[in-house]
Amino acid sequence: MFANLYIRLQKRRGWLVLILLLLVLASLWNLSQLKVEESIASMLPDGKSRVASDFQLLQQAPFARKLVIHLRATEPIETTELLAATDRLRDALPAALFTHPLSGPGEIRTSPMFKELGTYLPFLADSDDLFQIAEQLTEERIDQSLATDLAQLMQPQGVVLKDKIRRDPLGLERFAQQKLRYINPLPGVRLVQGHFLSRDGQSSLILADTPVLITDSAGARELIDAFALARDQLPEGISADLISGHPYTLANAEVIQADIRLVLSVSGIGILLLFALFLRRVRALAVYLLPLFSIAIALLVSSLWFGQLSGITLGFGAVLLGITIDFGLHVYFALLHGNGSRAELLQTVSKPVLFGGLTTLAAFSMLLLSALPGQRELAVFAMSGVIAAVLLALLILPHFIGKGSPVNALPTQGFKRHIYDVVPNLRWLVLFLWLIVVLLGASQAPKLKINGELRQLSYIPVELRQAEERLSEVWGNMRGRALVFTGGTDLQNALQRNDQVWALLGQHNIQDEAVSLSPLFSSKQTQQQRSEAWVSFWQQHRATTQSLILQSARKYGFSKDAFAEFFKALDQPPEQIDIERLERWGLTGLLDNFLLKEGADYQLLTLLPDRPELISQLEGELTELPGVTLVSQSRFGRQLSQEISSDFNRFILYAGGAVLALLLLLFRRVSDVLLALLPVLTGLLVMFGGMGWLGLEMNLFNVVASILVIGLGVDYGIFMVCHGEQAQNLASSRAVIVSGLTTLVGFGALVLARHPAMYSIGLTVLLGISAAVPTAVLVIPAFRVKRS
Amino acid sequence: MRKLNVLRAAVLSSLLLMISSVAWSEPLTLQQLFSEMQTIATETKTLSSGFVQEKNLAIFSEKLISHGIFSYQAPDRLRWELLTPVASGFVLRGGEGESWNSLSEERNSFSVENDPIMGVIAQQLLAWARVDLDWLQNRYQMELASSQPIVLRLTPRDEGEAGFIDYLQVRFSADRRYIAEVLMAEQGGDSTLLRFTNVHLNRELPREAFQPPEF
Repeated sequence: MFANLYIRLQKRRGWLVLILLLLVLASLWNLSQLKVEESIASMLPDGKSRVASDFQLLQQAPFARKLVIHLRATEPIETTELLAATDRLRDALPAALFTHPLSGPGEIRTSPMFKELGTYLPFLADSDDLFQIAEQLTEERIDQSLATDLAQLMQPQGVVLKDKIRRDPLGLERFAQQKLRYINPLPGVRLVQGHFLSRDGQSSLILADTPVLITDSAGARELIDAFALARDQLPEGISADLISGHPYTLANAEVIQADIRLVLSVSGIGILLLFALFLRRVRALAVYLLPLFSIAIALLVSSLWFGQLSGITLGFGAVLLGITIDFGLHVYFALLHGNGSRAELLQTVSKPVLFGGLTTLAAFSMLLLSALPGQRELAVFAMSGVIAAVLLALLILPHFIGKGSPVNALPTQGFKRHIYDVVPNLRWLVLFLWLIVVLLGASQAPKLKINGELRQLSYIPVELRQAEERLSEVWGNMRGRALVFTGGTDLQNALQRNDQVWALLGQHNIQDEAVSLSPLFSSKQTQQQRSEAWVSFWQQHRATTQSLILQSARKYGFSKDAFAEFFKALDQPPEQIDIERLERWGLTGLLDNFLLKEGADYQLLTLLPDRPELISQLEGELTELPGVTLVSQSRFGRQLSQEISSDFNRFILYAGGAVLALLLLLFRRVSDVLLALLPVLTGLLVMFGGMGWLGLEMNLFNVVASILVIGLGVDYGIFMVCHGEQAQNLASSRAVIVSGLTTLVGFGALVLARHPAMYSIGLTVLLGISAAVPTAVLVIPAFRVKRS
Repeated sequence: MRKLNVLRAAVLSSLLLMISSVAWSEPLTLQQLFSEMQTIATETKTLSSGFVQEKNLAIFSEKLISHGIFSYQAPDRLRWELLTPVASGFVLRGGEGESWNSLSEERNSFSVENDPIMGVIAQQLLAWARVDLDWLQNRYQMELASSQPIVLRLTPRDEGEAGFIDYLQVRFSADRRYIAEVLMAEQGGDSTLLRFTNVHLNRELPREAFQPPEF
């Protein structure tokens, strides 16, 4: 078929060029219209998967989207000096980039909350508080309280405390104030002069929002430069770190650019050397253009299919389509170095090229089953690219790599003049070495683990990691806590469920480690229950308490009605605490972080320490509560690992099955099928074993890059087995070597990259292809010779 | 903040004592008075005195009279101690201090950074010890209520403080060497009167002067 097509198209090269140009133009136009999604979300499971919903919820964590500026004194310093420097830095930050900069909650002591909070004790005191209050109502403790009151009134601070003592002679308001510690999302903070200050007084914080998107590297550059400029104004002895996603975005963009420069230089030199060594003809450039045309067509098809493509898909796809050079090289070498007419040679080489393409298609098609939308996009992208490449290699390329008879034709019995015919015992040595490598790979492969930690996919500079560590050391783990989302159809519904979550945390004695609104702002129902318990408590204790207070009051010279306000408050509890009250107390910012409103629905947030054992312990009980979702960063990483692992296993299994079926269809002989599988199996074993031995873990990038190894490995096998069976010499060994070397210098050079994603791809390809090529070129003929 | 401003006024009434040991024989203007206060302040290394405090507060059934001692040592040490009827008080050493109450037998450490009330006390003490006139005039409207004996009347400028404190009245001794009385009149009718006695300037103070007592 391809021989006929070749003959028919031979006189229509102009049309072929025109079609190609039109395709390229259409692709370029499409590229200009293409919307590229830059979020990592495309590489996370979508639909209703737990990981997808957890990822969305994790984005709502307090501080997840905030810019955090951490100032620290590098030598002991007066607090006032640090706070003044903090204010100066805050004011120096450009408002267009740093919106709502906050160095603290302001002069919170002016908030009416501190005066009023105690009067709301009937709605705040839980059963534990009432128990402790009861213990305080003995004659001795009451007498001690009034003695303290007297002493305080005599001191200079007595003027300030007088009103407070009148309304709270027993100091019960502290039970209300204790609730405030549960709403502090900054574990290591204390508030000094309206600023966030660390416990040691040597660090302060500025929190800010920004309009710069986390994925905008140019914006990140502007943001970081502006921060650096403002930071330069800090006095000596005070330094500041900016902690947010932006420095990571910028660092990644910069390191990727540097890596691309390095890798392109190395691979460019490598490809030139290969060209000089193996191709040496200007017309061979057409072979190198084939992947570019394939990518252009793949881009056109997949963007028409999806409308919008992930940037990661595009990047990966372009890398993966490097595989398509394989088809072009085989056609090129067959036509230029094979024996026979062009049409005959093309017909002969079309079989392995088609089956190579089919097996590669089968491998990529398995990605359509992936839970990751990015991988499904990648499947369509790669499949359309592979189809385009096979068609281009068989229909178009032959017309652009010279005319007439083959040049440098190899002898017809080239295969039989293999090095093994010259040195027959060499094949035993080769087989022995191959067996050793396979056994070593097999022994190390089980050590390989899959890691779904998203941070592993990013380049993290040492200074950023250290800045994060310093932040965590001083302020506690403010950015990495587990989140409990409690949803409700209305505010009261959500608050009630949040109260249930809080009660559960109490049963596990971890309230002290949690951050929740519940202790301060509970549902009307809970407030009512507490209020009733409060009334009942004082019905039981009031008479005795009043008598004891009056007795001690007389003893210390207090007037008869000195504490009338206290007793009056017991009889007249105030209105319940509501949102307006909290806002009046200056807690709007807190509500914004912990009470999320979506339409009519409300979500309340509780923060927990993200300890795996604690999360496992609580997970079952929490999820049994209605409307409650527990999201943990550590669990998210584990789940993502499981999803990737399960995806990968399924991929290997299905792709293996499909490849096997195609090979059986092609060769119809088990021995040939097994021979054809040798390169890919050896490549995968060495890849997994090598990574296991080096202590490296599989990530998203390795998983996808391993497709390249599978696709190429199978192709090598097909070509070498076909080569052995066909009468014509198709120069397959040379094609496989050049293809393998091109892949190694093109993609293996990525191992020189600093970016973990690019390095991962490079390492995977380097290990896999380094093993697959010699297996195809040396091991298959070694077995074949024996069979012959 | 309002409470802290009131506190400032309370501290002010105590600390005017430190600027009192100057001999005045002629009537002075306020500016001359301030100038001399600053001179005295720069020369003052230590200061100690006794005091009698009369509290007319509605919370008490009758006027509460107490006796105590006050000590200051530059740059940042002080002791405010009531001896009767309840032995109580506090000492301050730089940013750290301890308070005590013999009735409840409680002794607590504090730091001016963590305890806003004690922080204000420290701030006030130091401001007065250094005679920070900018601060003083910023906070209070001052007038010479009487020139024989000299009586200063200080009215808080801050709204919050004025909500608690009506005015402060400072009377100097006849020889103008020290402040004889400070009256703090609160809104609502309560008042506190401090009478200072046995004022000593630059007398060496024992180390224990700034240590809390043992119970």
